[in-house]
Amino acid sequence: MARLVAALLREDDRRCLLGEDVRSGGMLGLSRVAAEDEQLRPRLLGSPLTGAGLVAHAGGLALAGLRPIVLLPSASALLEALPALRELGRLPWRSGGQHDVPVLFVAPNGPGFGVGGDQAECAEATLTAVPGVEVWCAGRAEDLCGYLRSAAEFLGTDTDDHDTEHTSGPRVLLLPRSVIVRDLMIDLDLDASLPRAPTAVLREGDRATVFAWGAALAPALAAADACARHSGIEVNVVELGCLAPLDEALLVELASATGKLVIAHAGPRRGGIGAELAALFADRSILHLDAPILRVTGELPANLALLAGHEEHRASPTATAIANAITHVVHY
Amino acid sequence: MQATPWEPEGVEALLDSNGALVDPSAVSGIDLRSYYKKMVAARVLDHKLRRLELPMWASSAGEEAVSVAIGDSVAANDWVFVGNRDAAIGLIRGMPLTELARELLRSPSAPTRGRALPGSISSSAHKIMGACEALGASLGLAAGHAHGQALAGDGAGATLVVFGEGLTTTGMFHESISMAMAHDVPLVFVCKSQLWPDGAPPEAGLLGDSVADRARAAGMWTRRSDGADPLGVKRSIAAALHRAHDGAGPSLVEVVVTSITRDPPAERDPIERMRRLLDSRGEWTQTFQDVSEAEINGQLEKAFEQAQTDGGPA
Repeated sequence: MARLVAALLREDDRRCLLGEDVRSGGMLGLSRVAAEDEQLRPRLLGSPLTGAGLVAHAGGLALAGLRPIVLLPSASALLEALPALRELGRLPWRSGGQHDVPVLFVAPNGPGFGVGGDQAECAEATLTAVPGVEVWCAGRAEDLCGYLRSAAEFLGTDTDDHDTEHTSGPRVLLLPRSVIVRDLMIDLDLDASLPRAPTAVLREGDRATVFAWGAALAPALAAADACARHSGIEVNVVELGCLAPLDEALLVELASATGKLVIAHAGPRRGGIGAELAALFADRSILHLDAPILRVTGELPANLALLAGHEEHRASPTATAIANAITHVVHY
Repeated sequence: MQATPWEPEGVEALLDSNGALVDPSAVSGIDLRSYYKKMVAARVLDHKLRRLELPMWASSAGEEAVSVAIGDSVAANDWVFVGNRDAAIGLIRGMPLTELARELLRSPSAPTRGRALPGSISSSAHKIMGACEALGASLGLAAGHAHGQALAGDGAGATLVVFGEGLTTTGMFHESISMAMAHDVPLVFVCKSQLWPDGAPPEAGLLGDSVADRARAAGMWTRRSDGADPLGVKRSIAAALHRAHDGAGPSLVEVVVTSITRDPPAERDPIERMRRLLDSRGEWTQTFQDVSEAEINGQLEKAFEQAQTDGGPA
């Protein structure tokens, strides 16, 4: 990913990196390669520790025609900066389409580092509620680079046609901590974008549909695999890579196709995207539903979102829990 | 200068309370009559807006020195980030009056389609960025914008952000100063500080009356000017912009303004003070005053009428 970050900077000189320690490699080492390139160093904008200041600063850079990529130590940094993020989200709208704000925020999210607290929080429920902000969430390790490249491309902002509503606001790319801590022993093509939309069917089947994202995606795929091997049950697995805005028409179509739905995600069960999906399907797929919509989240009590480091392993659904849910809806 | 509680402390004066120039050579390049007409135009716009009884609108009568100095001093490629009492900047910067009226009436046919905050204006064509809702967000945006201008290299402009002293107790004010200093950006902060004749009340939390002193403590170049002295304000803001264009980094100009709505002594009114100067030079007559007012008044009447017929308040 560090090589990809450097490549992205070389390809478009409007891109710059913003973050507290980007000039020394960045918290996750994402700017390590770029920091060694003398040509790129002027666009590595190491910045003081601020709350909302950094986020507003990135917005200002974008207003001046740059394409800032902000490397954040944690998705919770965006919660600290919520006033500025809200301002960036509404700016294209507020300006009547006069201005784009093509900023990409890249932030680790959810459990995985074993630190607990803010460093284990799943921020997507709050972030997706901010108007005008696009929220993507990478899933599998082998897709991380594709996600980063696709997210850094702001299509539709290169036209001068400001009379239409094609303006672009900020985008957040969440990297699940449990995915990025794994060693990546695969050869990747740095030039490849994600060969599909972020929200897409990753595995096909007709008995049930599993919606999953982030840290829950790999367990969901493993569960689908186990169900196929042990019981001959083939299920659809949908990666929800774009959490805001939701492609509601596509999701409803996928839900209605099987009528048996499992939603799997890390973090708290209440008040999040999982609940939003369940409500969406209850609204628009009700005549196709043949079982209750099951949500599989962490094993912690439903209302407990706060985690100590040693509890993090219980904050994401396991493949077994997801497989049990699939079996339940299929035999309902 | 007579010492009344209404006179701010620690300001650089160019035009004293009797309308006498402390340093006549400092205004050699300025057409004083035309500058005075701009001040009058800004006041007439404020009166016009008052009569419209727009929701959530706040008067900026008494603050004309700031708007006119900014509108008059910025270079063609400088951007101005405004608040909700800075409509006169659009006027002085040459926004077509009908467009300005549509913005202020928040009409669907305005550049912002009626989405601007009450009292705020925005125009991409005239490089004016509208006000933000989040406290102080425009300061952070302006710092980033100035940084972007600097990265774009030679020929790109500076960025100026204007705000009230109330925002200087927010985190964003201090964060923006920190960001601007860290990246040495071509940014001019212009703070309009309301004058409190008896000192600011403790609940204002202003950490001492001088915002300029606080910015200077952060290592920033600052000036403190008297808003009743239009030529002094013009000199400070022009100097700050000059530094920004020269690559000398960020600066803060604090202008101590007196709201006319609080009925201060006549010499606290920047227009009256400048009138006294013109009068002493034999360049002011009542006819000149009447014609100046009528001219802009007529133009504004026409523009607002036009804006109201083709859209009306959103």
